[in-house]
Amino acid sequence: MTKEAKIYGNWEDLPASAGGTISHSRMETDSRQLAEYWRRCSLSSDFWARYTALSSPEFSVGRPVRRDAVESTLSYLLNELFENTAKFSGGPVAAVVYESWLFPDRMAFQVTNHIEPARRDGFVQLIEELLGNDPDELYFKRLEENAETDQKGSGLGYLTLMKDYKVRFGFRFTPVAEGSIAVDVQAHIHVKEI
Amino acid sequence: MAVQEIKGDEYVIEHNDSSHVVGFKGTIRLQTTDDYAPITDLLQKAHGAAGKGKLTLDFRQLQFLNSSGINAISKFVIAARKEDKVSMVVLGSQDIYWQQKSLSNLSKLWSKVQVDIV
Repeated sequence: MTKEAKIYGNWEDLPASAGGTISHSRMETDSRQLAEYWRRCSLSSDFWARYTALSSPEFSVGRPVRRDAVESTLSYLLNELFENTAKFSGGPVAAVVYESWLFPDRMAFQVTNHIEPARRDGFVQLIEELLGNDPDELYFKRLEENAETDQKGSGLGYLTLMKDYKVRFGFRFTPVAEGSIAVDVQAHIHVKEI
Repeated sequence: MAVQEIKGDEYVIEHNDSSHVVGFKGTIRLQTTDDYAPITDLLQKAHGAAGKGKLTLDFRQLQFLNSSGINAISKFVIAARKEDKVSMVVLGSQDIYWQQKSLSNLSKLWSKVQVDIV
């Protein structure tokens, strides 16, 4: 197994500090806690959505930006990302890190969790399918497939976000310890899409 | 008139078996497909009770639904399409952003689904 990080999709090296941003936030939690107390996923996403949406007057896209639209978009997006960390984390490291960067015309979010190495190939396969197909077509194809058989991790959350909210995703896999790979998922949204 | 109800911590779903309306209220973000099974059962009962008439799914008071929930509702619509008995109306609210964004997808699954965002 390579020790180097592998990157897929819309990946961006985001600043470690708030420099150049409207705001920069970070939270650390635990995937086991999110899974055990499931409503923490929803609670965390609603909190950060509302917190972030308060910056709406600072966005600069040539028109006012609806705060409620920003909040709703982020609540859906972040809930899917937190739910994924609760559902798919594994191995010895349970840390989950949430981070956001707000720029005048766009927002970037990064959620990091950890998986067992054996889970990587399946996830990479899903990512390549998501990135290599038309989201609209793949969305309906997945729904039809899911109607026949229940697939865990069919990527429907990502597809809804790509198709209906124009979110662009980036992924990074970094081996961090024996039996543990850090998965960073980045979500990028242009404010003009809201 | 009988009303069948499913209540969770943050949501209520009601089926009125005389008006054939299933109303969703609150936030539905359940964890697994199994967690959605009672909701799917209620929808199937409502579908059966509607016969060849109209079945209305009223989402106007549903603030949030996660992708697992969208999957469950979509699966129900596909099953109804295969039976092709009811005429289905989906009500959404202009004030609820996810409904503007995603509810019309249901009519792309089955062209006979009428989606009204009011």
